[in-house]
Amino acid sequence: MVLDIKNVSKNFGGIHALKNVSFSIKQGEIYGLIGPNGAGKTTMFNLITNIFEPSSGDIIFDSQTITGLKSHKITEKGICRTYQNIRLFSQMTALKNVMVGGHSRSSSGVFSSVFRTKKQREEEIQLNQKAEDLLELVGLLEHKDTLAENLAYGQQRRLEIARAMASNPKLLLLDEPAAGMNEKETDSLYDLIKMIQSKGITVLIIEHDMPLVMKLCDRITVLNFGEKLAEGTPTEIQNNEAVIEAYLGKEEEYESA
Amino acid sequence: MLDFINPYYLQIGSFILINILLAVSVYVPLSSGQLSLGSAGFMGIGAYTSALLTINFDLPIFLGVLAGACLAGILGIIVGLPSLRLTGVYLAIATLGLGEVIRVIFVNWESLTRGSIGLTGVPQIGRELLNLVRGFGFEPSMIGLKNNQFVFLLVFILLFLIVLATIWFVVRQQNSRVGRSFSSIQMDEKAAESMGINIMYFKVLSFAQGAFLAGLAGALFAHVMGYISPSDFSYHRAVEILIFTVFGGSEVIIGSVFGAIFLTLMPELLRFVSEYRYIIYGIMLVILMAVRPQGILDIHLLGRFKGIKRSKGGMR
Ligand SMILES: Nc1ncnc2c1ncn2[C@@H]1O[C@H](COP(=O)(O)OP(=O)(O)OP(=O)(O)O)[C@@H](O)[C@H]1O
Ligand SMILES: [Mg+2]
Repeated sequence: MVLDIKNVSKNFGGIHALKNVSFSIKQGEIYGLIGPNGAGKTTMFNLITNIFEPSSGDIIFDSQTITGLKSHKITEKGICRTYQNIRLFSQMTALKNVMVGGHSRSSSGVFSSVFRTKKQREEEIQLNQKAEDLLELVGLLEHKDTLAENLAYGQQRRLEIARAMASNPKLLLLDEPAAGMNEKETDSLYDLIKMIQSKGITVLIIEHDMPLVMKLCDRITVLNFGEKLAEGTPTEIQNNEAVIEAYLGKEEEYESA
Repeated sequence: MLDFINPYYLQIGSFILINILLAVSVYVPLSSGQLSLGSAGFMGIGAYTSALLTINFDLPIFLGVLAGACLAGILGIIVGLPSLRLTGVYLAIATLGLGEVIRVIFVNWESLTRGSIGLTGVPQIGRELLNLVRGFGFEPSMIGLKNNQFVFLLVFILLFLIVLATIWFVVRQQNSRVGRSFSSIQMDEKAAESMGINIMYFKVLSFAQGAFLAGLAGALFAHVMGYISPSDFSYHRAVEILIFTVFGGSEVIIGSVFGAIFLTLMPELLRFVSEYRYIIYGIMLVILMAVRPQGILDIHLLGRFKGIKRSKGGMR
């Protein structure tokens, strides 16, 4: 198992954002986390990356407990994320954004940076190359010198993925990557995520675009009011009475997905 | 001969250079999103440390200055750590308070600092340098300069080299992993942390670097002036330093340089209107902040010269 969520709960004052949720993600899977607005999906990401600590329960990554570890340490361990409400470094170029993403895989400090030691120069060249490769992967290489804030919405979402990829994650967390994308962009996002999977990276994705989720995911957990409602393959989830009731609705529009 | 080497102009030039260091001492913490008004206080630490060491222990000026800057830097680390919880105006107010505490200590620790009278007889860099070159059998008259012309010229050149080295350091650092970390923290601290950046380390680093630079400027100030008193490091000074950076443009280092040059020169150039000059100064600041809150120079303006592609990404 790459990630083990064990009986995790999170309370914000009186709000139970998550109640005793457990699931496990296998190496190389694309795992979906779905559910209605306010179900606690983003909160789960915030707990995994320790923006908040869980009120109870354990999060185990690569057979190690990461509960309570500092966010930047978790990134070093190999988990990186994107945000539902895009959080790029808006005044930096696309290239620099991705290079910042590579921070945890580089080491130059003040001295070597100021005096441009041989190691530092090699590291910068490599980082630059890696960033360009990732920009190419997400189709933004031609915009590498554009400030992030000047990119179109869909481009910003893909830039966030490239930035997260620069940290060489073993587990990539995507929070609604298709939000605000048109059909064409969503299609290329599908290809991108599949490509990421083919590199051996495990993906945990939150998404409201059901056709995309059903097509993309190997397994899915459904959250509802902070509780786990169901877990299973896309087919199982689409035929689960409780899920249809609470989230998917009665229509059969996802059958063909 | 060589009358254009005017001690008065060189003196102003030296103040400009010290003010550039001070402006950069605000710029560096700001580049990681920390608005510090502690520069006057750190400047005082550097000045008093170096002055006391050189007066009481005959330490060479060079070592005194280094000690002053380092002590300010260390204090920057000590203060920077608890200040991590503070952002924006709260940090500004806290650091302004710190500066006042430091000043009050200078005023009250009379046995050491001679209180508000201040320290006189601080060894002057210019004279030391003159003695040094005389030791090699050199006399200013050999190149047609009067002694005081030569002294002011040497001080100016020395400060110029220090400023150049500082700017070089900051620019090189900026275009590197460290500088990228600073700006990412400035733009979005949470996202920066998610990208694996130890924000505590980098924030304290930039804060301490700012404190070191302010301490360096203060120590140099002491040895250029020859006397210092607590009022040199009051909150008026803190605000003045902040204005250099904000006026010139806080997003780019060249803004700090420009702000320090322009605002140090302006009162001198406006001497002919004597008492009105600070009114003009004030009005100018008000207009600037209303029209151009980011300061005179910013990336966009510099981008016009450098040709950064800005609009290529299309609409939003
Ligand atoms: N920092 C916080 N403080 C207080 N309450 C919070 C906080 N973060 C989330 N919540 C609450 O926790 C619940 C779950 O929120 P969360 O953002 O995880 O939902 P979500 O499943 O991501 O929803 P959406 O699909 O709209 O993004 C909501 O009721 C929300 O108001
Ligand atoms: Mg959410």
